[in-house]
Amino acid sequence: MIYLEPIGRIRKFDARPLCGLCFKGMNMKKTLVRLLVPVLACALGTGSLAGCSLPSAAAQSDPLSAEFYAMDTVMELRAYGDGAQDALDASQAEIASLENLLSRTKEDSEVSALNTAGGAAVSVSPATARLLSASLDYSALTGGAFDITIAPVVSAWGFTTDTYQIPSQTELDALLPLVDYTQVRVRNAADGQGDQVSLGAGQSVDLGGIAKGYASDRLVHVFADNGVESGLAYLGGNVYVCGSKPDGSAWRVAVQDPDDASGNVGVLSLRDAFAVTSGGYQRYFEENGVRYHHIIDPSTGYPANNGLTSVTVVAAAEENAGDESAAGSGTMCDAFSTALFVMGTDKALDFWRANGGSLGFDLVLVTDDARVLVTKGIGSQFEQAEGTDYTYEIIS
Amino acid sequence: MKSSVKLTFCRWDLIVAALILTAAGVLAAGYWGRTLAVGSSSLTAVVSAGGQETDRVRLASLSGAQERTYSSNGYTLTVRFSPDGVAVETSDCPNQDCVHTGTISRAGQSIVCLPARISIQLTGQSGSGDADVVIG
Amino acid sequence: MTTRQLTLCAVLTALALALSYLENFIPLNLFIPLPGVKLGLANIVTVFALYALGAGPALTILIARCLLGAIFAGNLNALIFSLMGGLAAMLVMIVLSKMKKLSIYGVSMGGAAAHNCGQIGAALLTLGNSAPLNYLPVLLGVSVFTGALTGLIASLLFRAMERTNLMKA
Repeated sequence: MIYLEPIGRIRKFDARPLCGLCFKGMNMKKTLVRLLVPVLACALGTGSLAGCSLPSAAAQSDPLSAEFYAMDTVMELRAYGDGAQDALDASQAEIASLENLLSRTKEDSEVSALNTAGGAAVSVSPATARLLSASLDYSALTGGAFDITIAPVVSAWGFTTDTYQIPSQTELDALLPLVDYTQVRVRNAADGQGDQVSLGAGQSVDLGGIAKGYASDRLVHVFADNGVESGLAYLGGNVYVCGSKPDGSAWRVAVQDPDDASGNVGVLSLRDAFAVTSGGYQRYFEENGVRYHHIIDPSTGYPANNGLTSVTVVAAAEENAGDESAAGSGTMCDAFSTALFVMGTDKALDFWRANGGSLGFDLVLVTDDARVLVTKGIGSQFEQAEGTDYTYEIIS
Repeated sequence: MKSSVKLTFCRWDLIVAALILTAAGVLAAGYWGRTLAVGSSSLTAVVSAGGQETDRVRLASLSGAQERTYSSNGYTLTVRFSPDGVAVETSDCPNQDCVHTGTISRAGQSIVCLPARISIQLTGQSGSGDADVVIG
Repeated sequence: MTTRQLTLCAVLTALALALSYLENFIPLNLFIPLPGVKLGLANIVTVFALYALGAGPALTILIARCLLGAIFAGNLNALIFSLMGGLAAMLVMIVLSKMKKLSIYGVSMGGAAAHNCGQIGAALLTLGNSAPLNYLPVLLGVSVFTGALTGLIASLLFRAMERTNLMKA
């Protein structure tokens, strides 16, 4: 037998038995098996634990909700109460019927008929007529910053068909004269039936910037008619909150950070209100390192670039008991969010100072120099986000 | 210097084991406590390769399942995005851990493919606490 | 260092390499689908060398086995993972081995936990974001068991060695 010199520092061992499972002179194989099995079993146990999903946070009473696609965007409705299912069904039906009237991509819609009439008068339903009238009022109020006749220019940029391109200056020069809301005529028949609308020669209209707001106005009635006192409608960037949440607290509506889709600049606490956001980051394409977005300035034909990255307009939601198809503050918020984005920071704030009180709306503006401007009326309802690089100001 | 070693499991070893398990528990509570199921309209999958963000997919804006392929570091992954969550369908990496992770569906969860250096993280919102909906 | 000690180092290095190759055949991955989860059998050699030969030789064996392992696998990227894991484990085990109250099990479990932390650290560096941290809690939990297993086998090894003349003073 070869004698090996001591290899190192071990001089003695603790010779006590190993937890009673084995003794001196034990069978190494048996011990290994006896101990390996429980160890691997524990590993298995840990593994299955790892596979378990964790309980979700804060289980509330669940609302009924519906998610669907309409008006070229995703929509989500949530309603609480006994009438919730009826409200959801009626809401979806209402939105579908509005889309059939107002979508310019549907060939048999009233808007398409108007766009292809070549200037002739077209009969439209009360809803379409009301909405068109409201659009013209907003155009006048915003000095043309909001203008539904911008449609040909938007198409020239390819936003309608998702075939993005930069139109030439010649093309724009030819199209810009067609952007003129004053050439749109709405003739109301005496009793509201048989309304007629006509466009100027070569004009076409796109109600995309206002249709969702109008739909949200209609949902106020649908929810109320079905006895829903707590609910939320998210129509692709347009939000209507009905009442408070079931526990009485306000709905929390976060305003997305234009630069970071997973973050927000702050959260609004709202009850019975509309909130609509417009921003270039929502739809754009890039060419040669320059970003071209879908909110076209009617005066230049180019994407608006006046210092704002997003505009959020907030207003109270009231049920207009008189005329159910009238355009209300939901429509107003939608139109203003587009218009104010085009106007730019200073003009938008002047507009708010002039009209915010009488028309009842407030703003959250995000500027391209990293400021978040919140108008005084909702200052106390706006909770700033933590950890962002924005500077917050309350504007009066 | 003489050193001898105890070969029997004793009380102090249990203390070490308990310490490690407590550390694991604390880490789990701290990290997982921050993952909340946010409203479906804000769940975004962020795909990064080699530490650089390559892609963002907003899960709520999908009308069904969508597959995208990413290649990095010599490996290719096919990722399936759907409104219910994200999963790695196939990968040619040697250990297939990313495929085995399955579907993630909550903010804060992530799938990692180490050989390819690709990670997919689900982010909800940062900043303010849970909001009911995000406009923007 | 005597020739016999040197030879033992070489043999242990080879053994460690063989063990890390062997554990690929035990698919712990199937039970726990996390990247980097493994039995860590090579730590048996590390722990044995630590007590039998001392910290210096144990460290050398560790570095040699990481380098050679990466070269043989043809994947130098694996080097950073095994090195960071191994060095972290080594450090923790050296410290723990000084505590007389702990047995070889405590030292092994600490080493396994540190090994996992080191590997997650390497993953954080490589990926550049915090996604790997998600895995750390479960890995730490598993490390208690794999550490106990490694400790068990090492202790059986020492007991068996007791019978031979290798250890006789």
